[in-house]
Amino acid sequence: MHIEIDEIAKEFGATAALHPVSLRIPSGALVAFLGPSGSGKTTLLRILGGLEEPSQGRVLFDGVDATGLRVQERRAGFVFQSYALFRHMTVFENIAYGLRARPRATRPARVEIARRVNKLLELIQLPDIAGRYPNQLSGGQRQRVALARALAIEPRMLLLDEPFGALDARVRKELRQGLRDIHDTTGLTTLFVTHDQEEAMEIADLVVVMSMGRIEQVGVPAEIRARPATDFVRDFVGA
Amino acid sequence: MAVVLARPARAVAPTQEAPWVRRLLIGVVLLLLAVLVGAPLVVVFAEALREGWLVAVASLGDEDARSAILLTLAVAGVAVPLNAVFGIAAAWALTKFHWRGKALLLTLIDLPFSVSPVVAGLCIVLLFGANSLVGGWLVASGYPIVFAVPGIVLATMFITFPFVARELVPLMTEQGKSEEEAALTLGASGWRTFRTVTLPNIRWALLYGVLLCNARAMGEFGAVAVVSGKIRGQTATMPIMIEMLYNEYQGIAAFSMAALLTLLALLTLALKSFLEWRHADQLRATGRH
Amino acid sequence: MSASVRGLALRSPSPIPGWGLSVGITVTLLSLVVLLPIGALILRAAQVGPVELWDVINRPRTLAALLLSFRAALVAALFNLVFGLLLAWVLVRYRFPGRGLVDAAVDLPFALPTAVAGIALTALYAPNGAFGAPLRDWFGVQVAYTEVGIWIALIFVGLPFVVRTVQPVIAEIEKEVEEVSATLGASRLTTLRRVVLPMLLPALLTGFALALARAVGEYGSVIFIAGNIPLVTEIAPLLIVIRLEEFDYDGAVAIAIAMLGISFAMLLVINLIQVWSRRMTAGS
Repeated sequence: MHIEIDEIAKEFGATAALHPVSLRIPSGALVAFLGPSGSGKTTLLRILGGLEEPSQGRVLFDGVDATGLRVQERRAGFVFQSYALFRHMTVFENIAYGLRARPRATRPARVEIARRVNKLLELIQLPDIAGRYPNQLSGGQRQRVALARALAIEPRMLLLDEPFGALDARVRKELRQGLRDIHDTTGLTTLFVTHDQEEAMEIADLVVVMSMGRIEQVGVPAEIRARPATDFVRDFVGA
Repeated sequence: MAVVLARPARAVAPTQEAPWVRRLLIGVVLLLLAVLVGAPLVVVFAEALREGWLVAVASLGDEDARSAILLTLAVAGVAVPLNAVFGIAAAWALTKFHWRGKALLLTLIDLPFSVSPVVAGLCIVLLFGANSLVGGWLVASGYPIVFAVPGIVLATMFITFPFVARELVPLMTEQGKSEEEAALTLGASGWRTFRTVTLPNIRWALLYGVLLCNARAMGEFGAVAVVSGKIRGQTATMPIMIEMLYNEYQGIAAFSMAALLTLLALLTLALKSFLEWRHADQLRATGRH
Repeated sequence: MSASVRGLALRSPSPIPGWGLSVGITVTLLSLVVLLPIGALILRAAQVGPVELWDVINRPRTLAALLLSFRAALVAALFNLVFGLLLAWVLVRYRFPGRGLVDAAVDLPFALPTAVAGIALTALYAPNGAFGAPLRDWFGVQVAYTEVGIWIALIFVGLPFVVRTVQPVIAEIEKEVEEVSATLGASRLTTLRRVVLPMLLPALLTGFALALARAVGEYGSVIFIAGNIPLVTEIAPLLIVIRLEEFDYDGAVAIAIAMLGISFAMLLVINLIQVWSRRMTAGS
């Protein structure tokens, strides 16, 4: 599904978190929104997911204006920075949540739900933890469960807010590649927010460098490295 | 030649008081507690059982006593759930959304704590009494509030109003809204999100608040004394009954009913302790009431 | 995201539903149960007029009742301040058998109906009671039906407030702070006095204010033990009840407004002290 961001801006009171930005994201791309904190990247992600309303502008999914769509209708799988796993549910119940929340008419049968959950557990390479609770999991495991939970609803895009933020360096590297693999397997348009330029450059198809609520540059990693468009990009990425 | 080193029997850590100080403080505290709290507790049962167990129980079987018990249960049965609903609604509004005026709302919710129960009763009498605008019309249509059960419910609700909200707000503030947002992104409706994500996360704090609310509701005296008219058999709750029996020198009957309420209080404390022990992480970080 | 609230600048829109419902329930119940009744009191007071109100308040019996209520509440709250601090300290810092039980017992005054406490305390301290008899025989002191009895009743009901507000603060004190003080040569008493106590001051003041507010308006636990002799042991809430029974609504309103006014002033003072103390201890 290709995404079009058309002059989206967001103000919180008097502060402009996002100046009007426009962007075209091709279908199936793995896109990194890269920038320091305060650059507006998380705000943009939340607007795409329907968790914030833009002050102006439109969002189009496959050419259709989706700006007015409610969160529940967007089918945007969202992975939060804190993972936000349901602490009182097991891993299985977490992943199955979206499927069970569907109205009777479209809800899959219990057996089918179990099948899908187990398939996802295999996808994230954690087939044995279905009965555990979030507080019994490591950070890396929680992240993967959050990912599986988002994938369970068969979203048309995947949005991840600093997916590796809370993890230590070694785990980050492993999961980085894991995300790339899952993206390649599912073919979903995947957008993730990060402040780590190494991460963005390593796995993304497309990098969107942001600063202070504006898009500084959009391009493939090699291009951004070779031809930084502004001083900011050069300094931020050059490191 | 062996050198004998003298060592103190037990070294006192730099952040501790000397053992004798500790023992003294513990002793003083326990003594004062025994006198202040323990003794009244013992006295209630001692007086109730003065002429034996059977007499005490028989007094509770008296018609007016039974009415009082039923009325107290009924009033609590209405007031507590309504206050719980309020507590949940207020906590939801305060913790899941971002808006100005939260401090004002919190102050208003705490208002009943700074008002004497008698004054609370007076307010309700002024608002709904027969010689007020609203009250006059209500009495004429046959739905009196003051000197009737609805007034007692209202008075009880006033006094116990903040309990559930005060338990839920800090907890839900701490829990944030990410889990609810996650549920929404997964397609759940508002009600489903509340039912399956929020409620399980707050259930012990909710129970805790309801427990406290109930204990206070069943024991409320001052406000009910003003509002109810103390009509025996009709608008006399258990605490009111206790006063009436005591003033009529029916000590055993009064203390028997008091013993019943005391048992309820002890049960409440036991449940409360259990919840604190078992589900400490789900209750508030601070131990404030 | 309902269109109807889009224009409201009062809050930033949110995808989380239930705004309307939760605010609706909150405002409705708050108004009906709390705000309207209090409003009725204030309205009636305004109707009576400040001159009349003052006239009622200025009578000896009323003044005596108000003075008694506030004085007794102050005495009780001060006692609870000291005792509550000790109790909280012992509960947090010391280990002894039955500690859990004691901790739970602190809440008894909170959970026990006031009328029950009232008759129990009276039975204890009456001249022929378990405590009252020895006190009279050995010390010649009478507790029940005197102001001392009122103090005891108010101490009872206010006990949990200081303890419960101070306990978590004591628990959060870092050991290092006390250790540092010791390494700098301070005796234990000095450490407690100059390092620990200031840290507890805000919580102590809050607990004191809560206990005071509770004691001022207390009715059920006091009227049995007080004796209720006008001008001597008659508390303000009782006088309100008496006026109501005489259908003297204006009189009752006057006393209620006086109580609210003085309570408000007291709490204001305590709040100011809290702000001042915070300013003093800030930066530590």
